[in-house]
Amino acid sequence: MPNPWVSPTPGGYFVVNERLVKFLVPVLSLLLAFGIGGILIVSVGKNPLEVYGYLFSGPFSNLNSFGETLVKATPLIFTALATIFAYRSGVFNIGGEGQVVMGAVASIAFTLRFTGTLPGPVILIISLLLGILAGGVWGLIPGVLKALLNINEVIVCIAFNYIAILFMNYLCSGPMKEKVNPQTPQIAESVRLPRILPGTRVHLGIVIAVVTAVAFYYFLFHTAHGFKLRVVGLNPQAAFASGYKIRTYTILTMFVSGAVAGLAGSVELHGVGYRLMAGFCADYGYNGISIALISQLNPLGSILVAYIFSVLRAGSSTMQIATGIPTSIVEIIQALVIFFVIAGTTIINYDNFKPALERFAQKWRPRKARKEGGAG
Amino acid sequence: MNPFATLSFWEQLFASTIRMTPPLLLAALGALFSERAGMSMLGLEGIMTMGALSGYLATYFTGSVFWGLVFGAVGGILLNLIFSFFTVTVKANHIINGMALNILAPALATFLFRATFGESTTVVVGNVMQDMPIPVLSKLPFVGTVLFSHKPLVYVAFLLVPLTAFFFNRFKPGLNFRAVGEYPQAAESLGINVIRVKYLAGVMCGLFAGLAGAYLTVCSLGTYVDGIVSGRGYVALSALIFGRWNPVSILWATLFFGMADAFQLRLQLALPGFPYQLLAMLPYVALVVALVAIRGKSVGPKAVGQPYFREHR
Repeated sequence: MPNPWVSPTPGGYFVVNERLVKFLVPVLSLLLAFGIGGILIVSVGKNPLEVYGYLFSGPFSNLNSFGETLVKATPLIFTALATIFAYRSGVFNIGGEGQVVMGAVASIAFTLRFTGTLPGPVILIISLLLGILAGGVWGLIPGVLKALLNINEVIVCIAFNYIAILFMNYLCSGPMKEKVNPQTPQIAESVRLPRILPGTRVHLGIVIAVVTAVAFYYFLFHTAHGFKLRVVGLNPQAAFASGYKIRTYTILTMFVSGAVAGLAGSVELHGVGYRLMAGFCADYGYNGISIALISQLNPLGSILVAYIFSVLRAGSSTMQIATGIPTSIVEIIQALVIFFVIAGTTIINYDNFKPALERFAQKWRPRKARKEGGAG
Repeated sequence: MNPFATLSFWEQLFASTIRMTPPLLLAALGALFSERAGMSMLGLEGIMTMGALSGYLATYFTGSVFWGLVFGAVGGILLNLIFSFFTVTVKANHIINGMALNILAPALATFLFRATFGESTTVVVGNVMQDMPIPVLSKLPFVGTVLFSHKPLVYVAFLLVPLTAFFFNRFKPGLNFRAVGEYPQAAESLGINVIRVKYLAGVMCGLFAGLAGAYLTVCSLGTYVDGIVSGRGYVALSALIFGRWNPVSILWATLFFGMADAFQLRLQLALPGFPYQLLAMLPYVALVVALVAIRGKSVGPKAVGQPYFREHR
């Protein structure tokens, strides 16, 4: 019986099947996290299988609920891509939260002001571009501060998150307030993203998100610039020695990263939200980070993980209503998955991990094959 | 009348600054222990949240503020042990694990809170620590109100500053901490158990940050609400950088941020028509400005965030 962990080579040596190991880390992490979540659920006297049943069946009970999972996945794909792009070049963009908000703010400010003066689709496209620009600038500032003044980008990003959210709340209850409620007016029908699945709220945004993910994948893994960007992230010393302008990479990646996050806010506004209010897009930025890490920083993988996250997000309210287990169990599980994925990734990168696995494989080989000296 | 011209405005502003500072100060000193031993502490926010919840629950069930603080610290320590395990033993990335801690702790706190009190929306207020005015001194005009009429934990927090300074500058274990954060291989070769020091630092950090969280529930609010820490962990972390990893400078940095917070709260009262969101931005703007102001001058322990492999040389 062949050992799936390693593949034999003609010389009788074994090579660790890296793809399988890399794939197993997130899968096992998910299982382990759900296991611990199950222990928590048992500890409050509920049946975890029943709770998880509601969590996963709720989103697929009818077409509309299924559509909601796609709707929720859309911004998460964007924010995950934002994290992946920055992280691949060695910058930790934790400011997705604020960049999403600034994208949406720029879009609504433009849309509310100019609706009617230009055709709807033109407004829509300009608004999306402005969202990209606003998010990009909001990411660019921490990037510039890091690159030129060596200021910790993580802390600046977090401060910028709070500033952006407070700014949005100010707009909703001040200059852009609609009558009595602290929210902005709705944008007109003509400037909304078209729905693409009848009977659901699924809008064109999911297509934009998937196309962006594929484009990012192509850029990172099939172009020279993408390669350089990854070199800067993996080994800044080597990149510096090769004459790459690391500061320029830092600034540009933070701009692109912020721009994708800004697009998330803009698309969410034109696709489903239609107006801003306190709590708009809350936690999308942070969820994007989790998704990026769990997908092992792979743009295509992030589509799948974002979808799993959106199913959890969509199912959690069904679960809470049916079983009384608070929706925060989903966040607990997500945090645990991050711990385990990062731990697993670290462990498989240990210097002695591969040799240990290969030694283990030698012992595991069927006795007969070992006697023959072949590669069993 | 100009509200800034009255003495009571300034008296209340300064007194309020002294009240707002202890959670930042305790958390920043906790993070100092961690960072001195080479662990990056983005998870401060999460530890504070856990301390806030466990402190509140203990106060609620025992009726004693003292046990509230003890369990606040215990909650912080237990949560930080998760972080210590993954960063020290598994040697995983500090920043990401810190962020995961910040996601885990509020969710866990909400889960435990709901599991204890159910879905009810009524606020359950526990005991609050009483003020302990210092005899004679608190009767002084102005200074008495500002400095000497506070809760016991406030005095303790400020007293911890000289103690921490002494620990890190004059005390052998403290110097060992610093060695571990600067150059763990050298520390190991001098017979310091690097792994043990790192775990100890994790416990100290959990203790201080847990207390900081418990301060919010046990000393000021009296109850737990979601999002109670509201960024104080990150502000404390910035204060650590702003204070250049030095306890006395950290005191000034946290007073600066505490004052920014107190100032915006006072302004909200003094200028009722003004949009409070713009005022609430002040501490965060102050934070970014402060980071820009000290750029380059702030150099932390060299090995912060680096995984330590004993066998590597």
